[in-house]
Amino acid sequence: MIPLSYYLACSIALYTIGMYCLAIKRNMIRLVLGIEILINAAHLNFIAFSAHLNQGYIDPLGSSIVIMSIVFAGCVTAVALTIVTYAYKHYGTLDVRKLRRLKG
Amino acid sequence: MNALLIFMITTPVIGWLAHKRRYRKIRDLYAISGLSVTAYFLFELYVDVSAKGPLSSCYLPFEACLQIDMFGVFMAIVYVMIGLLAAVYSVRYMERDTGLAEYYTLLLGMIAGMMGVVFAGDFFTLFVFWELMSLTSYALVAFRKKRWAPIEAGFKYLIMSAAGGATILLAMSFLYGMTGTLNFANLGATLGSVVPNEWLYVTLTLVIVGFGVKAAIVPFHTWLPDAHPEAPAPISALLSGALVQTGAYALIRVLLVVFGSVQNAWQMTLMVFAILTMFIGNLMALLQDDIKRLLAFSTIAQMGYILFGFSIASPQGLTGSLFHIMNHAIIKGLLFLCAGAFVHQVGTRDLKKLEGIRRKMPLTSILLAIGAIAIAAIPPLNGFWSEWLIVLAGVEAGMLLFSALMIINVLLSVAYYLRLIYVIVLKEPTPISEKATEAPRSMLIPIVVLAALCIIIGLYPGPFIALAEAAAKAALSL
Amino acid sequence: MKKKRIAGIVAIISIALTFSMLSVSQEFPIFSSTETPEIETPEFLWTYRLIDMIAQAFVMFAAAACCVTVLRVEKKE
Repeated sequence: MIPLSYYLACSIALYTIGMYCLAIKRNMIRLVLGIEILINAAHLNFIAFSAHLNQGYIDPLGSSIVIMSIVFAGCVTAVALTIVTYAYKHYGTLDVRKLRRLKG
Repeated sequence: MNALLIFMITTPVIGWLAHKRRYRKIRDLYAISGLSVTAYFLFELYVDVSAKGPLSSCYLPFEACLQIDMFGVFMAIVYVMIGLLAAVYSVRYMERDTGLAEYYTLLLGMIAGMMGVVFAGDFFTLFVFWELMSLTSYALVAFRKKRWAPIEAGFKYLIMSAAGGATILLAMSFLYGMTGTLNFANLGATLGSVVPNEWLYVTLTLVIVGFGVKAAIVPFHTWLPDAHPEAPAPISALLSGALVQTGAYALIRVLLVVFGSVQNAWQMTLMVFAILTMFIGNLMALLQDDIKRLLAFSTIAQMGYILFGFSIASPQGLTGSLFHIMNHAIIKGLLFLCAGAFVHQVGTRDLKKLEGIRRKMPLTSILLAIGAIAIAAIPPLNGFWSEWLIVLAGVEAGMLLFSALMIINVLLSVAYYLRLIYVIVLKEPTPISEKATEAPRSMLIPIVVLAALCIIIGLYPGPFIALAEAAAKAALSL
Repeated sequence: MKKKRIAGIVAIISIALTFSMLSVSQEFPIFSSTETPEIETPEFLWTYRLIDMIAQAFVMFAAAACCVTVLRVEKKE
């Protein structure tokens, strides 16, 4: 059985990559993907913990939470992409750095 | 609350039916009646909970459920009240927009989500309803999609809020890993007695960041000044008055229940954040020319006061905070609805063009003045009582320096509220504000109700403070 | 541009590795606070999946309403 700390390291690395993506990337669709990466880091964590509770037995609470959370992540992505569609219609570009007209 | 969810689903059906028969008002009245039914059930729930103590509507093995105690009922009363008044207001305000059936669906969905968050007894239930509330609010901010501004504001809000939600999910996963359960009662029992280790501090950071994005704590507040002005006015009132308070509620609930063992850590951190939030909110509000943006920055400052009251970690501080949550919801609702009335009649949000609009819209201007006086903490109205309670609790707990900083902030905020009153009421009308006419009556009724509540709570705060105290006791005793 | 991109990738890989190494070094106190982990809730949820699914259905309905709202057609009257 792979030790727990490897899974934790992986999920924290995913979280960092997701945050980097949100902070640095310019394409709006890449930002939406960054959010998906963030949420998937948490999913990996849940599954890893539910598998390491007892050896040879998986705690169903973690799995049911992940199933629901995947659905919610999909919903957020759907709404985000519709807003990106309209942002493209208004601004003519997918570059998030051009969305600067609201200042102050 | 089940009633609210049922109504949320059936509203678009009724809306489509009503469109077929060309009588559009049916769907508006349907939504409003849905909220009234919910208000009635909530009142029954309040009577139940105050008589019998906290209710857990659980079938015994099914503990991932709702746990309704006084704290939850207190917040839910605030939400339903503001929601009902915003829905009545939006009957006339949104008449020129299309897609109103979905608007009411999303509005009811947002209020249902907020009520679910405050009634949750389990961290995962809280997350489910948090997502419901957030999703509906993204679409409501970007409602008027023909202009570019709501789309930009909606996109920024979505990215930051979804990142906050993902951070909350990560914190939940660490808590699950440490204890194997996500129920608040069990989490409190098991984590209360454990020796704090580094992972607990990491989880604490993630919780404060995640909930702080929604509760407008300062480094994470940048979505708020864009999203609140661009949303339609009743949605702004709900966002400012209820959504950010839900972020504060979740922060209070989770920190009190789960992180009792590391109390010293989060107390000082929150206090520093609260002072920073107050200062930045007030200082930025002094520079604004757009009326709704000014109110949005003042929301950030008021959330700073609420967090300061909470971080004092004494029952009086928490009472002051909760009372201020209620007052802030009422007053901010009042201010945003008045600002919306101006926008509806004149079509601009710029303060320089709205000068002297009192000549043409006297009732709305006077109600705005009442709201501004209330929130500037001038004595006979309700803002004074709640901010006084918070400062008093701070002084009693020995935090003299921070209480002094809060008093400085209150004085700063008086500056821009008085400027608002001066511009709207006392200056000479510009050519644009000459063309205004008085707001329609059905838009004025909710504003008058809110202003009356301000005055009543201000003159006779006793029973409301008792309600806030009961809520604080319930929050601290879990 | 190329240099910036390579610098960015190197930076992010190093940050991610740092955090991962830090997390591996501290022992995670897995399930340390409970002697017997609670089993009724998860078992109930897993047996009666319908309750979960109804919660998902509500949120999905809300998401569908959001998409319809943002994508609606505004007729010019």
